[in-house]
Amino acid sequence: MLSVEDVHAGYGAIIALRGVSLHVNTGELVALVGANGAGKSTLMATIAGVLRPFRGQITFEGRSLLGLSPEEIVRQGIALVPEGRRIFPSLTVAENLRLGAATRRDPAGVQRDIEEMCTRFPILGKRFHQPGGTLSGGEQQQLAIARALMSRPRLLMMDEPSLGLSPILVDEVFAMITQLHASGVTVLLVEQNVERTLDIADRVYLLNTGRVECEGTPEQLRQQVDIVGAYLGDTQERS
Amino acid sequence: MNVLQEVLQFIINALSLGGLYALMALGLVIVYGILRLVNFAYGELVMVAGYTLLMLGAGPIPWLIVAVISVGMAVLTSLLLERVAFRPVRQASATTMLITSFAVSALLQNAAILFVSPRAKAVVTPSFFTENFQVGNLLISKGNLASLVVSLLLLGLLTLFLRRTLLGIALRAAADDFVMTRLVGIRANQVIATAFAISGFLAGVVALFWIGRLGSVGPFVGSTPVLVAFVAAVVGGMESLTGAVIGGYLLGTLTVGLQLVLPQSLLDYRQAFVFAIVLLVLLFRPQGLVRGRAVTERV
Amino acid sequence: MQRMSYLESFGKWSTGLLLAGPLIVLALVVHLFGGEVLQRILTVLFINLSMVLGLQIFMGNSGVVSFAPIGFMGIGAYASALFSMSPQAKAMALRNLYSWLVPIQVPFVVAVIIGGLMAALVAALVGYPLMRLSGAAAVIATFALLIIVHTVLINWSEVTNGPRTLFGLEAYTTLWVSAATGILFLLLALWFKETPLGLQLRASREDEAAAASVGINIVWVRWVAFVLAAFVTGVAGALWAHFITSFSPLAFYLPQTFLIISMAIIGGSASVSGAVVGAVAVTAIFEGVRGVENAINISAVFPFTVSGLTEVCLSIAMILILIMRPSGILGSRELRL
Ligand SMILES: Nc1ncnc2c1ncn2[C@@H]1O[C@H](COP(=O)(O)OP(=O)(O)OP(=O)(O)O)[C@@H](O)[C@H]1O
Ligand SMILES: [Mg+2]
Repeated sequence: MLSVEDVHAGYGAIIALRGVSLHVNTGELVALVGANGAGKSTLMATIAGVLRPFRGQITFEGRSLLGLSPEEIVRQGIALVPEGRRIFPSLTVAENLRLGAATRRDPAGVQRDIEEMCTRFPILGKRFHQPGGTLSGGEQQQLAIARALMSRPRLLMMDEPSLGLSPILVDEVFAMITQLHASGVTVLLVEQNVERTLDIADRVYLLNTGRVECEGTPEQLRQQVDIVGAYLGDTQERS
Repeated sequence: MNVLQEVLQFIINALSLGGLYALMALGLVIVYGILRLVNFAYGELVMVAGYTLLMLGAGPIPWLIVAVISVGMAVLTSLLLERVAFRPVRQASATTMLITSFAVSALLQNAAILFVSPRAKAVVTPSFFTENFQVGNLLISKGNLASLVVSLLLLGLLTLFLRRTLLGIALRAAADDFVMTRLVGIRANQVIATAFAISGFLAGVVALFWIGRLGSVGPFVGSTPVLVAFVAAVVGGMESLTGAVIGGYLLGTLTVGLQLVLPQSLLDYRQAFVFAIVLLVLLFRPQGLVRGRAVTERV
Repeated sequence: MQRMSYLESFGKWSTGLLLAGPLIVLALVVHLFGGEVLQRILTVLFINLSMVLGLQIFMGNSGVVSFAPIGFMGIGAYASALFSMSPQAKAMALRNLYSWLVPIQVPFVVAVIIGGLMAALVAALVGYPLMRLSGAAAVIATFALLIIVHTVLINWSEVTNGPRTLFGLEAYTTLWVSAATGILFLLLALWFKETPLGLQLRASREDEAAAASVGINIVWVRWVAFVLAAFVTGVAGALWAHFITSFSPLAFYLPQTFLIISMAIIGGSASVSGAVVGAVAVTAIFEGVRGVENAINISAVFPFTVSGLTEVCLSIAMILILIMRPSGILGSRELRL
């Protein structure tokens, strides 16, 4: 479904990705792990069209994404839950959700999905007419996920969705990712919560300083636990 | 005249001038919020509408239609400037954009000097603007009343647009986080063009009343509106649309008030006073009296 | 190591030679062979150069746009006039002047320096709190400052003759006076860039947060540059006043601001070389197109007078530069051997 080949990207003189290749098959849940600064968020931003790669190829369902603007890439069916949530603080929860569905043309369906989000994340229903900026960090994270789901993406990219959530909410987020995945959504997940990510992922890529260090099923990665440990250190224990 | 009448008169004058100022400030801030562009050329949109009034006003076309065309010209000019001058420098620094708008402003003013005349020319305005009507003992200028009503009406319509339509919500979202707005699928160019169109529209409407008051139009007719917009926007908070409106009404009230209170000898320094206030606000409350994103700090 | 630094410092000084040399030669040639018109144009060029260098010292090094310079130019012009004019001339031109100011008259050079100092003093007093601002806030604040100065100049008729024209100044500013001042400021701007303070200021331009984190007092270094720039601009204003010999407060407002900023932008304000190139290029365009404009008007090809053509050309040039080379023709590079 998604294939990334030999992508080099960065910020001005800073090169953050040095030839990354990976692919995500339809229906898969692929996890991307790696230490801080490995380039995970950069890769997400590059796929989403915020950054232009210097070199390499990105295709989605057979079509190249290179040169497309972020707004066009969303229309291909890719949604991003960005690092740091980035909900619209001065917009109400309702408006945040409605913007999530900006690319859709079925008002009735959008309305139904908004209601569904409010049952799935009850807090959003309660805060429905409150500005997003007044939500707590965890509530904002839920809003960010719900907003991404509103576009009914075929590929959902999530950058550290459990960051800053309380343990119960982390459980919920992981349960939700599993459930989404089960319902057929393809997921590309960046997580620091490596143990739990390995539990739910179909395949895993380990990124290190802009390169793919190793890839495989969670089992294969666990067997190379020394490598994982070396790169991820204590983050393994963090859950 | 008794006190009540004077108070009423004051309120009407303040609300009418304040309404115009609020529209001016909004037109500036709506673009600033999204692009961080302080648009010096905003005043020249007023000028373009004014010259359209001048050219068509003397002809056989009814004034109302001329007015609509004038506002349309301001909108078109605003869109054209965005496309030709501002879009190419959008990726550059805020300073580059600002200086570009300064150059565009100089270009339009001097084009008017070159192609029309360096001097202001009298514009045919409907007698409406200079007529008064009487309620009891109160003498009310029809032009003032019209600008009061029209500005309130436009503020209401704009609020509806910004709260109820997807494009309006996207406009506010873009002021919060432009990249994220694109990441949910809103087209960048569409949002920006909408902001410029609204800015031009507001400038055009302001021009109708402003030039109606002045009775003439010249190359520098936009200077005062753009200065007023700066002041109101800074005082209210550059980041907040509500702030711009409040700033506009505050400034209008202040202007009408100073006119009444200040002795003639100090009246000439009024502009200096007003801009001293701007400096003070910038220094002590750089975010303006109304904070734009009071709540973003949580992130 | 030693040789390196010799070469290095020669490289830096070669900029001064490269910039000042041709200007001096030009002044010489025009002085010897040029007619009066050319001499006047060149005098204006060197005054413009001083103005742009003032802008370069502050804006170029700090990256903060300032709209205030023309205000300081006005202060320099009026302050120097008050001290250079004879009591008789003052009695004619400045009827409302404070009586204690009437008898004071000092030599031209002293009056020019007083003009510069007055501008610097005003800048020093109002500038410090403003130096915290950058970006759009700084622009609007300095813009407000310009308007305040302008309003005061127009209304303070005890000192400026109000909005009316002040006349009766002696034409002390010859080509050589203005050329010598321009070259002096050129060297001053080059020197200032390389002083520790100038380096700190440039560091703050690149990255405000990083500069602050290594202990640079941004407000202080900006303030010093602001005051120095105001002095340079004030002197330029004083020279201009004694070149043009009669003027009104209207001369110190947005059109002149536009002219000076266009020079800085077209040449590239981050370097002294850029400022020089900008001043030369814009003065050339300005005088060239104005020549055409005058020729058209004199020959009466059109039944009306043509004006504004110069500014139209200049603003188009400026917009094109901003789109294609936002850092100006030279950017931040200095010319070097
Ligand atoms: N906006 C930026 N400008 C310059 N460099 C950046 C920027 N964003 C990231 N980088 C650099 O790019 C590299 C990769 O950063 P990236 O954010 O992709 O890492 P990450 O794997 O997402 O890390 P984390 O786990 O901390 O989120 C880092 O060295 C970082 O310093
Ligand atoms: Mg990251």
